[in-house]
Amino acid sequence: MAVDNILLKISSVRKNFNEVIALDNVSFDIKSGEVVGLVGSNGAGKTTLLRLMSGVYRPSSGSVTLGDDTPVHLMRDHLGVVPESTGLYSRLTAWENIRYHSRLYGIDDSVSWKRTLKFAQSLDMEENLSRYTKGFSRGMRQKTALLRALAHGPKVLLLDEPTAGLDITSARTVRSLVEQIKLEGGTVVYSTHQLFEAQQVCDRIIIIHNGNVMADGSPKQLINDNGCETLEEAYVMLTQEKARVRFEDSISDRGLTKIWNKLFRPKTPSLQLNQDVMEDE
Amino acid sequence: MSKSTQRIKTIAKKEVVEFVRDWRTIVAIIIIPILMFPVLFILFPVLLESEAAELDNKIVNIEIQSNQYPMHLIESFNESYTKLTYVNATFNDSLSLPSTDLDRVRDMEIDAILRLNYTDDIWYYSVIHLSTSESSTEAKNRIISSLIKFENNITELRISEGGLEVDSTLDPLRWDGDMSKADVATEGEQAGLILSLFIPLVLAIWTFSSAIQPSIDMTAGERERGTLEALLGLPCTRNELLLGKWLGVATITGVGVLLQIVGLLFAIGYLASSDFIGIPALSIGAIILIIISIMLFAVMVVALELALAMRSHSVKEAGSILGPAIILIIFPALFTQVINLDGIESFWFSIPVINILLALRELLLDRVIIEHVAIWFVSSVLYASLAAYYAAKQFRREDIVTTLS
Repeated sequence: MAVDNILLKISSVRKNFNEVIALDNVSFDIKSGEVVGLVGSNGAGKTTLLRLMSGVYRPSSGSVTLGDDTPVHLMRDHLGVVPESTGLYSRLTAWENIRYHSRLYGIDDSVSWKRTLKFAQSLDMEENLSRYTKGFSRGMRQKTALLRALAHGPKVLLLDEPTAGLDITSARTVRSLVEQIKLEGGTVVYSTHQLFEAQQVCDRIIIIHNGNVMADGSPKQLINDNGCETLEEAYVMLTQEKARVRFEDSISDRGLTKIWNKLFRPKTPSLQLNQDVMEDE
Repeated sequence: MSKSTQRIKTIAKKEVVEFVRDWRTIVAIIIIPILMFPVLFILFPVLLESEAAELDNKIVNIEIQSNQYPMHLIESFNESYTKLTYVNATFNDSLSLPSTDLDRVRDMEIDAILRLNYTDDIWYYSVIHLSTSESSTEAKNRIISSLIKFENNITELRISEGGLEVDSTLDPLRWDGDMSKADVATEGEQAGLILSLFIPLVLAIWTFSSAIQPSIDMTAGERERGTLEALLGLPCTRNELLLGKWLGVATITGVGVLLQIVGLLFAIGYLASSDFIGIPALSIGAIILIIISIMLFAVMVVALELALAMRSHSVKEAGSILGPAIILIIFPALFTQVINLDGIESFWFSIPVINILLALRELLLDRVIIEHVAIWFVSSVLYASLAAYYAAKQFRREDIVTTLS
């Protein structure tokens, strides 16, 4: 299948984890060459959406397709993914980490090495490619994960909070790389909860809140449509409903574990009691 | 090579490379398996021997309380490192009652007391001793040994006095010739019998236990470290991932088990003469069936461990499930050792774990019984398939991507 005009289509996607609705009726398209920011608070559903886009999760209803309406999990060769955890093996060198993924993409070592070197220069990582990732800083780990995601030449790059926990210089380098990819015509989906960053890097921002798409447009469009002065004001206006807590960790408790955890749940003083104590003080 | 095979190979290779880069792993899968049995079988007996020699050279204090002192008995004591003291005594109660000597022996003032009472041609005796003290036990053993010699002397003397020939009276039934030549089992079969007693046991327990660490590391470990999510976004299928990891664990475990058997055979070869353990006489059919049975067992065990570890959210959780689960192997493995193979009922060959262990025992004796082979083969394929299906089901779960952190 030709995927030259890649279009990532998210159509009426709903994702449930048991009784919890993580995403509800989410629909949007991503055009080739776009840098799209997914913005939302913790637990909004950004990571779930990225996992759906990378084929790790399957939608409960609706579809996520790439190119000519092919389900995305069948087109993973064309995706490059950098999860929030980076996912590097500490007992392998940076290059071995990159090569491992490239081989699983079916890419020849010489090809992935050339591509790695090209981007390693931009990220100032050439010297570190032969080092074990065990002692890497968060920034170096993030850069290695980026190199790994780019080594097979993906059509779409999915980045989950790529600058979270990074120092200013490293974050800037990562953003520069995204801009470089954009200039080369690449498509990037960029999840972040930093509005400033999204505004700086992305052509288009999708604001997600409690599993729903609240707004979708260019930063300027979002500001104008909501009659605000800044993007932050627009964001606050669109996400007035109280944000839910992150729900994914609780989804795996089943059977005896669920009962056990319920029985031995630590007691927390009630909120009313706390208020009484504060008033007394 | 197809793309799928290539991916499985890549995953397995990476798992093995990453695993052996930790020196602790090398110790766990190479050094310990090689050294375990030699240390147990060679060093332990050496230690026992040196302790026994130390006891032999120990001077023990023995008191003899009696109304008479037979010369033969006293002479036999002089042969060892023994300090004897003599007390003339007559006894009204049972000789075994320590009475006033209780504290003397308990306080180790004396190691043991031999009480003798000669009445109506019978020597009555008892040894007052403290069984929790090595010196006292040694003293008791030396007394008993001397008493046996003394008893033999009296017996021989009384037989002679009765006009009988001592040797034929005491030993009227004798084996004629070389006992080992009367055994129609070949040396190879005898070697097979000895090997069949411990090879299945070692194989079962070590396969399970040595697969625990890599299984956890490659599943719950990856999940905990967050590397699994990156892997799940790649074009490889979950089944390819499972197969690659299975191959990685099986390789590591296989090396460990093989080395342990080598260490075991070396230890036995060193301890015993070469005719104690030789090469078992096995037909080609039996060898092929042994390999098949081990493979099926490995498929089942490793798949089950991978599945259980993948169900866990963390390394800690996986360890607390797989650690105690070894009981599921140890009990059947020990149980199988006592099952009599002659005339065994066929249903035994359909019980999980036991079927493979019994099959190995039979095959090492070069007994290829078609009915048994058919039952253990079909049941093992079924169990291995169920374990593989269960593992595949766990690998297909969506929540394996989430971590506790």
